[in-house]
Amino acid sequence: MPARRVDRALTEPFDRVRAYVDAKSASEASFSDVVSLAEITADSMQAFFASIDRSIYRELRDIADYITRMRDEIAALRAGELKSGRIATAGEHLGAIVTATEQATNTIMECAEAMMSAEGEDEATFKAIVNEKVMEIFEACSFQDLTGQRIARVIETLENIEQRVGRFAAAVKTEGDDQAGPETDRERRARELLLHGPQDANVAIAQDDIDALMRG
Amino acid sequence: MAIDHTMPVLIVDDYKTMLRIIRNLLKQIGFEDVDEAADGSEALGKMRDKRYGLVISDWNMEPMTGIELLREVRADDKLNRTPFIMVTAESKTENVIAAKKAGVNNYIVKPFNAQTLKAKIDAVFGE
Repeated sequence: MPARRVDRALTEPFDRVRAYVDAKSASEASFSDVVSLAEITADSMQAFFASIDRSIYRELRDIADYITRMRDEIAALRAGELKSGRIATAGEHLGAIVTATEQATNTIMECAEAMMSAEGEDEATFKAIVNEKVMEIFEACSFQDLTGQRIARVIETLENIEQRVGRFAAAVKTEGDDQAGPETDRERRARELLLHGPQDANVAIAQDDIDALMRG
Repeated sequence: MAIDHTMPVLIVDDYKTMLRIIRNLLKQIGFEDVDEAADGSEALGKMRDKRYGLVISDWNMEPMTGIELLREVRADDKLNRTPFIMVTAESKTENVIAAKKAGVNNYIVKPFNAQTLKAKIDAVFGE
């Protein structure tokens, strides 16, 4: 309940009592004056409590509306579907990408190693081995098409999550409230040991610049 | 200092494929005695058991990183003269400066090629 309204509800009865007493100040108080004062007080307090009831009701209704709105927004997030559907599928895609790239890399390296080992063979054998291994390398490179499609689906999932979280943040009015939480052990280790991981080409330092730093 | 291609080389990386790539590149350069370790602590154990002429290490590994390995090596009286090349995807200036301060002999950023690896090994041995 707003403070100003409470103050008014409290002061009004006393003003009325004071006005009555002022009017009667010249004479002695009779029994009927006492009854009148009691009536004024009871009447005033009734108004006071009624105003409190209305105010509390309004506040409870606001809270109920907010909870209803939050429930709708949380439902719109469809967290269950994200967790068991989209995120789980994205995880499977990423796992499959790691497996496919690893398999392709191993195949390509086995081919390269086989060609390196064939250097001592006669020319015809060497040529046959190289031709066969080159074809295997071409086949292995087809992984890029499949992993590309899987990556596209993962990106789609990330965009979908970004959209839903953005809408939720706007609904609960936390947009721009990007205060970082407490640093985790993993984050502290990464910070202390300078574990940044691969950088984008426009951020990464070039080998020539590294060489200059090493010389300097 | 001429490079002795018979010297044992220790390569350290938590990614098996990268170990295989570096091993093959070293073979092409002429190094045959190549051992592998999956992180800094394993590498440190191997270095205390065998004298290596060169260590080529990744940075980002668990539980012991390449920079921690480098610091341990440089703090160890028996190991501190071992040439150490960092081969890593960590390509921020602060990483290079930290590695240099810790005593790295050369620094290669991934992805790299055989030519770069050979040039950096040559540079470490003054060729």
